[in-house]
Amino acid sequence: MLRNYLKSARRTILKNKGVYGINIIGLSLGLASCLLILLFILDEVSYDSYHQKSEDIVRVVFKAEIGGEEISEAVVMPPVGPTLEKEFPEVLTAARLRKMNNPKLTYNNKNYGDFEFAYIDPEFLEVFDLKIIKGNNTNPLENPKAVIITEKQAERYFGTENPIGKNLSFEQWDKQFTVTAVIEEFPENSHFEFGVLASMEGYDYAKSTSWVNSDFHTYLLLKDGEQYKNLEAKLPGIMDKYMGPQIREAIGVSYSEFKDKNQVGLFLQPLTEIHLNPDFVSSGDLKPGMDIKYLYIFGAVAIFMLFIACINFMNLATAAASKRAKEVGIRKVLGSGQKQLVKQFLTESFLATIIAALLAILLVVLFLPTFNQLAGKSLQIIDLLQFSIVLTTMGLIVFVAFLAGGYPAFFLSSFKPVQVLKSRFASSGKSSLRNGLVVFQFIISAGLILATIVVYQQMAFIQNKDLGYHKDHILVIREAHLLGEQREAFKNQVLKDPRVTSISNSSFVPAGPTDISMSGVLLGGEYQRRMFIYNVDEAYIPTLGLDLVSGRNFSKEFGAERNRVVINETAARSLGFHKDPIGKTFTLDTEDGGRELNIIGLVKDFHFKSLHREIEPLILMNNPYGGLIIRINTADISTLLANIENQWQKFNIKEPFSYTFLDESFNRTYLREQKMGTILSIFTGLTIFVACMGLFGLVTFAAERRVREIGIRKVLGSSIPEIIALLSRDFIRLILISFLIAFPLGYFLMEQWLEDFAYRIEIKWWMFLLAAFLTTFIALMTIGFKSFKAASVNPIKSLRTE
Amino acid sequence: MIQLDHIYKWVKSGGRRVFLLNDLSLHIEKGEFLSIMGTSGSGKSTLLNVVAMLDGFDEGEYYFEGEAIHDLKAKKRTSIFNENIGFIFQAYHLLDELTVYENIETPLLYKKVKSSERKALVADILDKFNIVGKKDLFPHQLSGGQQQLVGIARALIIKPKLILADEPTGNLNSTQSDEIMKLFKELNEEGVTIIQATHSENNAAYGSRTIKLLDGSISKN
Repeated sequence: MLRNYLKSARRTILKNKGVYGINIIGLSLGLASCLLILLFILDEVSYDSYHQKSEDIVRVVFKAEIGGEEISEAVVMPPVGPTLEKEFPEVLTAARLRKMNNPKLTYNNKNYGDFEFAYIDPEFLEVFDLKIIKGNNTNPLENPKAVIITEKQAERYFGTENPIGKNLSFEQWDKQFTVTAVIEEFPENSHFEFGVLASMEGYDYAKSTSWVNSDFHTYLLLKDGEQYKNLEAKLPGIMDKYMGPQIREAIGVSYSEFKDKNQVGLFLQPLTEIHLNPDFVSSGDLKPGMDIKYLYIFGAVAIFMLFIACINFMNLATAAASKRAKEVGIRKVLGSGQKQLVKQFLTESFLATIIAALLAILLVVLFLPTFNQLAGKSLQIIDLLQFSIVLTTMGLIVFVAFLAGGYPAFFLSSFKPVQVLKSRFASSGKSSLRNGLVVFQFIISAGLILATIVVYQQMAFIQNKDLGYHKDHILVIREAHLLGEQREAFKNQVLKDPRVTSISNSSFVPAGPTDISMSGVLLGGEYQRRMFIYNVDEAYIPTLGLDLVSGRNFSKEFGAERNRVVINETAARSLGFHKDPIGKTFTLDTEDGGRELNIIGLVKDFHFKSLHREIEPLILMNNPYGGLIIRINTADISTLLANIENQWQKFNIKEPFSYTFLDESFNRTYLREQKMGTILSIFTGLTIFVACMGLFGLVTFAAERRVREIGIRKVLGSSIPEIIALLSRDFIRLILISFLIAFPLGYFLMEQWLEDFAYRIEIKWWMFLLAAFLTTFIALMTIGFKSFKAASVNPIKSLRTE
Repeated sequence: MIQLDHIYKWVKSGGRRVFLLNDLSLHIEKGEFLSIMGTSGSGKSTLLNVVAMLDGFDEGEYYFEGEAIHDLKAKKRTSIFNENIGFIFQAYHLLDELTVYENIETPLLYKKVKSSERKALVADILDKFNIVGKKDLFPHQLSGGQQQLVGIARALIIKPKLILADEPTGNLNSTQSDEIMKLFKELNEEGVTIIQATHSENNAAYGSRTIKLLDGSISKN
């Protein structure tokens, strides 16, 4: 019997190529999107789960609110790890990691940069799975001078030589390490990404007992990872015991008094949740995480698309009912029961779904590289063979076949033979279920169009927002510190070029890689909060185009400016100097008991952090070091760069010349949003395409069903536009109804998305109008084409066939 | 074989009953070849559908081989129909996407007849109807007469006790029509009970008995 069902199904599909074409293309697009998004999501949720003990590992994080400043840091104080291990038996092992920025190493008289470096406790290797492929694989980091490196780094420094036992020197820190082991690269789905890991044993800061400075990523291996909340509940006690006394010493207030006004605490975060909860991105997270919201958005889009394709299937099948009705009648007269007909129709939908699934897999294989590029992933085709993917695919096929084919199967098989065989039967044009489903499709389509408009508007807003500084035409050479003493000479040489307007010496830039410095601020002996510090020179404000509101810039004329500062408006407000901060003083919390600072200038707030965050208090100090920031005034960038590089080489620097453009770094800050925006718009386009294919099919049936009516109307003198209006009216009404639901829903959801941005657009009425216009326009194009064809038929033809 | 007692069937139109069958009583013996005549709308098709249990009625009693059809559940009625009755349509109603062979085989599939037995039965009937050479053709490749031949073969494949034919030659020319009627006659002689609805006196003459319908009642027996 199954063979006969299949045969029938195959012939039916071949005979109704139009309808099944729409169904299969729609389903394959839906399934392909589902698979791609599933691969994406699985990859995202797999972060850090490859460690054998991943379920039992937590990270200690620090959250506080001090002086109105919200702090959340992925790093904690040096003694936290050892203390927790000592105090609590449920902590099996504590392992710390201290990341060092901008490492440079020398081997064989050659300098190397551009790798990630950290000190790790030897226990780190017990907690995490680092695959040692060469060297000491029992305890490679026991020796304080030991270092382990990854395969790639080993090849980079030593080529084919055996790296074990070789010495790497780090001149900037005055240290030498001996390679004891080579490890495999960290996988892509790890929040670690290091090339060189040195033993913490040789790092003095690690032995510090300070509970005031946070710099250490601290991981705990627990007896039972599920019970981490119990341990977390005991952490305030530890803070009281250890941090309390030091707070009094540091800021002169008792810990309980300090806690009255402020909140501080240590918290635990399961290892596998780190990637999807990027709360700590700005303060010490090792790798940018993924906002879990995007996973929900994409998951929803995939499911929507599948639903839309299923709805097409259902709608077209029921709309085609009058064609199938005769067959149902005959088969029933020939002795078929309803059950057998249901099976037959389900066989059809199964066959169609399986064809669609095969097509979908082909699509995934074809478009995976493109998707990888868009999403910034390196997903492999082989990933498709994962057990969970295979299972889900099969599950999807069954689900879709039943969802799409189930309703039509029961609907069609319930026809009474007498009615349908008398050929008086015509499935009524008005099916409230079908209309409901069309409305549902357009709720999703219109909602997605609205979402895309909002995302693009927000992106454009960020691009064009007045940032308070000029991001264009600024070249950043962070490596300029390599010039050492010769920096001034290099600077003067470059300044001779008329295409260079000005050069500032600073390592602090508002976008892209930058030095970060924060310090506590006291006012009248009382601790206020931490503020960001920028170490700059007198050319900084003009070079970046900052707006000096009052006071003056730093200047060589005034001699030693060491204790003079320029602050931003937020800092002025925070310090209570609303009207005129110029001439006021405050104290910077330093190791040696504080430094009195005199405010000489006030700059307008500028966005020195991403627009996701509010502007925070900032202090500019006259303490130039590090990189160079060059303002240029030419569009002819390549020859200018060639000239600067030329100068660079004259100074005989071993490192190659490297630079960034500030505007590019700025754009990169929003890369995630941009990528997600692009992906969203592509899936939106596909979803609408599938919905419109369904609409096209429905209009085709409507036109067929009403061919006689159209003929009669034309004979009676109706014009083609009137006929088109007649055919389109019903659908347009449905689309308009869908707006009523799509727009409030879309508004609500997009508000949620926008909340992530401290600086954001408002959703305006014209966006709804535009979304409505686009949706209607696309739908009208779809309907209009078919309607026009139907309306143009010579009425004699259509009436003669009756 | 069939006993219809005071059958009424009506539809409501504008609050009034319009009778399709009006106090119709009819007795049909096993082995009869009954022709039902009457103008369009006289109730021929309705009567056939009622006899076939494809359509219900509003009042009256219907016994099929002693079984009280009016008291049975739909499922049971369908199974009696499937076991005993072959239906032949004016418009042939072959399944377009199936070949001649598959069309004839379909009722056997629904009766869950074994593959080998199916093959034998279909081969027999193809042979009997002289359409072996056409077995792999699709309906649209056949003439009207040939299509109806397939329709009849398909109705006969389950070896029904009763054949109901609703204007079986309505779409055929007179030569084809005569051939079909001769076939009916032969089948009747082999013992199959046949009820046909027809417009044609000529066709009716093949039957052993003729009734005339007018407005849902028998006007001449």
